[in-house]
Amino acid sequence: MLVIEDLSRRFGQKTAVDRVSLTIERGSFVGVIGRSGAGKSTLLRLVNRLVDPSAGRIVYDGVDVTHLRGKSLRDWRARCAMIFQQFNLVGRLDVMTNVLMGRLSETSGQRSLLKLWSAQDKAMALSALEQFDMAGFAAQRTEQLSGGQQQRVAIARALVQQPDIILADEPIASLDPRNTRLVMDALAKINRDYGITVLCNLHSLDLARAYCDRLVGMSSGQVVFDGGPLDLTEDVSRRLYGLEAGDVLEIDHIENSRSSLPAAFAA
Amino acid sequence: MKASSQGIGSDLPALKARYPEHFAASWTKRAAVVGVVTVLSGLFLFGFWRLDFSLDRILSGIGKLGTLVLLMLPPNPGSWAKFFTFIHALAETVAIAFLGTLLAALVAFPIGLVAARNTTVNRLVQFASRRLLDGIRGIDTLIWALLWINVVGLGPFAGVLAIMTSDIGTFGKLFSEAIEAADRKPVEGIISTGGTRLHQIRFGILPQVFPVIAGQVLYFFESNTRSGTIIGIVGAGGIGLHLAEQIRTLEWQAVSFLVLLILVMVAVIDALSARLRRAIIGRSQQPPM
Ligand SMILES: Nc1ncnc2c1ncn2[C@@H]1O[C@H](COP(=O)(O)OP(=O)(O)O)[C@@H](O)[C@H]1O
Ligand SMILES: [Mg+2]
Repeated sequence: MLVIEDLSRRFGQKTAVDRVSLTIERGSFVGVIGRSGAGKSTLLRLVNRLVDPSAGRIVYDGVDVTHLRGKSLRDWRARCAMIFQQFNLVGRLDVMTNVLMGRLSETSGQRSLLKLWSAQDKAMALSALEQFDMAGFAAQRTEQLSGGQQQRVAIARALVQQPDIILADEPIASLDPRNTRLVMDALAKINRDYGITVLCNLHSLDLARAYCDRLVGMSSGQVVFDGGPLDLTEDVSRRLYGLEAGDVLEIDHIENSRSSLPAAFAA
Repeated sequence: MKASSQGIGSDLPALKARYPEHFAASWTKRAAVVGVVTVLSGLFLFGFWRLDFSLDRILSGIGKLGTLVLLMLPPNPGSWAKFFTFIHALAETVAIAFLGTLLAALVAFPIGLVAARNTTVNRLVQFASRRLLDGIRGIDTLIWALLWINVVGLGPFAGVLAIMTSDIGTFGKLFSEAIEAADRKPVEGIISTGGTRLHQIRFGILPQVFPVIAGQVLYFFESNTRSGTIIGIVGAGGIGLHLAEQIRTLEWQAVSFLVLLILVMVAVIDALSARLRRAIIGRSQQPPM
């Protein structure tokens, strides 16, 4: 269980994350929604400790991870794998090496620096790639793959970390609709098959409703909504996205795109 | 409200009133250009006068150059023994350039890492290593050669050290700039999986900067085969020593033979390194084998 207590992060005058408190149950699939600049990315980066908090605590299974350093910090990062909007893979390295980056914290320094991966690690990487139909690309240079393929490589990297949590920061924001579905399905599969908790930032309300069992709405760094997908009424989403009464056009747009989703997808 | 495209910019007076700075002719800028050109041409003329530039001396000099060229024909090493000595010295020059450049790159890489903003240990170390690199870079290869000859004696070893020290400064600066230009996202990806600092450099930075750095090293090897000739003249080994010797003893045909040898060597190395550089850059666009 991940407990976030009164977590804040300031950048100069700007408070990106403002006294956020959340409890994320093990095995849940939680969507974080809100318009851009709301503080979603910063929240996820705080959990992985890519960003240090200005105040507050992050506690996982009773252990305070807010101030970890050195090896214990790296071990914590390995337990909460991150997936990025821009994939953050090493484009010049092959797919296999990129996936094996997920094993770094479990491999001794000299062996990993010389790329002397164990047979088990390689097997793990290949089987992770296989699950997302990417094993055939294992020897390819990563930058030659399409965005959707790269994101599946990134998910494979996250999976071989054998994490408790996956933090996905707008994983589909740079993808086309087909790849969007492939990547979201991959996350759903990981959540279902391995019981890994998924905390996923999403731009699109439709996707959030379709995939998440719980939604957390953020605005100006604060949590302004927390509930099930059905609790997300039009009124709430209007407030979340800061739409004024006059922005009828935008509301129409959101509703149109929702109704145009195939029924099976929305289910 | 909708303006047709012909209407764009038609209310000139109103736009002029709103953005006066875009319409005013900038006389100050023009005056600055004229001023700079005047000052530069003044300096140029002053330099000619101050350094005793004289057309007479050039004309009579060209005559002397003509006789020298005639004396140099045909190029001829003199004897087979000298021929083999020259070839051996030529190989020595290439070896000096190769070892010096490679050693410089090996030493400069870690310094480049700590001199780069994104991989340094802390601000103080970064500042110190930058100043160190600037200091080394400020001294020319020839001066390093004279210094090292006094330390380790005449010969090729001094030449290797001279090329190494003078290039450490330049390499360190170039490498640190390449490292700073590396994309941050892959590095962040490595951090997020629990990678150490060394992992970040090895997997996040190195694959990005390697092609750039390899190209720079090859280019310097090329140019060091030329400076290797010069430092030979002051006694740091290689073919330069023989060149100076033959000029002193007025063996003009041997001099022209040596010059030809150097030209051929430089051309061959240029061609080789150009091919290698292309191979490295090309490889980064094809799937790795
Ligand atoms: N490294 C940073 N430095 C300065 N400001 C930042 C930084 N990261 C985020 N911010 C600011 O914090 C706010 C929240 O950003 P972010 O977490 O990226 O929002 P979201 O992911 O919801 O779009 C924004 O106003 C952004 O400008
Ligand atoms: Mg974001």
